[in-house]
Amino acid sequence: MLRPTRTAGGVAALALLLAAAAHLLLMPAAALAAGSLGLFLLWRGWRFGNDLAVAVTSLTVTRDVDPTILRQGAVASVRVQADCAVPPGMAIHVHDIPPAVAAGDGPLCEPGKAVTYAIRLMAPGETAFGGIVLSAGDAFFSCDLFCRRFDAPRLRVFPVGTPEAGRGIGTHGESTEVDRKTTLAAQGVRGFRAYQKGDDPRLVDWKVTARRGTLYIREMTGLSGGAPLIAVDIPILTGDPEDFARLSTAVYGAIEGAIASRDGCSLLVAAGGEIVRFLPRILANREAFAALGGLSPLEPRAHLYRAPGPAVLAGRARMSGQGAGPEERVFRERLGGVLSAFAATSPAPFTVAIRAALDRAEATDIRIYSLLSEGDKSHLLQLIHEAKVRGMRVTLRAPAGAGTLPGVDAVEVL
Amino acid sequence: MAVDRKFLLLCAAEILVVAVGDLFAALILQTIVLAAFLGDRRGYPAYAGAIVLFAAVLLASGRILLPLLGLTAALGGGFLALTLRDYRLARWARGEA
Repeated sequence: MLRPTRTAGGVAALALLLAAAAHLLLMPAAALAAGSLGLFLLWRGWRFGNDLAVAVTSLTVTRDVDPTILRQGAVASVRVQADCAVPPGMAIHVHDIPPAVAAGDGPLCEPGKAVTYAIRLMAPGETAFGGIVLSAGDAFFSCDLFCRRFDAPRLRVFPVGTPEAGRGIGTHGESTEVDRKTTLAAQGVRGFRAYQKGDDPRLVDWKVTARRGTLYIREMTGLSGGAPLIAVDIPILTGDPEDFARLSTAVYGAIEGAIASRDGCSLLVAAGGEIVRFLPRILANREAFAALGGLSPLEPRAHLYRAPGPAVLAGRARMSGQGAGPEERVFRERLGGVLSAFAATSPAPFTVAIRAALDRAEATDIRIYSLLSEGDKSHLLQLIHEAKVRGMRVTLRAPAGAGTLPGVDAVEVL
Repeated sequence: MAVDRKFLLLCAAEILVVAVGDLFAALILQTIVLAAFLGDRRGYPAYAGAIVLFAAVLLASGRILLPLLGLTAALGGGFLALTLRDYRLARWARGEA
């Protein structure tokens, strides 16, 4: 879509001013000036369109990827060069778009100059580049054109066996459990999960329990909780790119595993106090990878300022003053009144959004993927609290030594 | 900044064009001013022809509002055609056309 620049806006405003002056003061010279400026903008727009068409039709993109066959999570080097005819007075830039399943952003390059950058492919399968975006502009107009035809070369990514993929040994085989599948549809062990109060003790798997240091029970095929909810906590910008790449690989693996197990999954992506994406009941890889494509560490736009959420506030408001002195009782009553009023009037949009997402997902199991970065984690606390209110089992996957969060049933290492 | 300075000069030149009063003199001045505003003048004669035509309509009609309204309608149609062409180009680039 053509966008006028500030200069074009100024010329249009000047034309309107002159037209008003011509009408009010009956000045033919002002009318001529106004009309000629309007015609000037139209002519420049027409010329910009012609120049843009020349640039686009002459555009060629050469892209070399090394290697083109690689493993999931591996880094590939991309060298891209765009060539096109650049009309006089026009500035052109080309933005390369990496595959949807790649972590990493394409650079902005000038025509005729080669640029090299790196991408990390997070999902297995055959994939292609997204194309390029041609940004053109002159003194009066600018335009971004998305060209999908430049998607070569195709890349083949081989999977890295992850526990969720059900193919045995994972990337960190020593720290994760093997989720073996059986050909028997109803009686096999589908996987393992942390013991919860009320579980049948006969289902405790002592080998896994001994290895993990906490009680684990066998989950039988056909008795598991159905499609899980995969919650991704996008880290902040200052984090280590390697950690984010590992997180992305784990998320892609989890989604692929859930889809391969025919249960599917729901996907919730949150960045601070904002839900970036939510997809209920995903049954196809393509859908999930399209939703995850282009995600990168970002600065949260919505902050919760360590707010515990309305449910916790309401709980604190109900806190009894028994066993306390008279002064403390009065203080607690006043605090309870303030908290009640705050909990009642606060809209808490993040909590409302989480509740809606959890209701739609209808999952009994939530798997949270987070780097547990420094800073406010109240969004995760609210998510865990709402999940526990619904009786969901909460599994946190975080880097080793990152710690855990209150309410989490099991912690697994990324 | 250079464009801003040019734009301020254009505004000053437009005041001069209006102050001239005479339509013929204003036409010549306006053609020179806008040519000076541009670095690349490809296709400028076609544009100059269009403003001569508009000046002729202004002179012939003896009115101000009616030619301005007519020009507004023509410009609206022109920009609509530009948008349509841009849309077709964008579709072609996306590989949908």
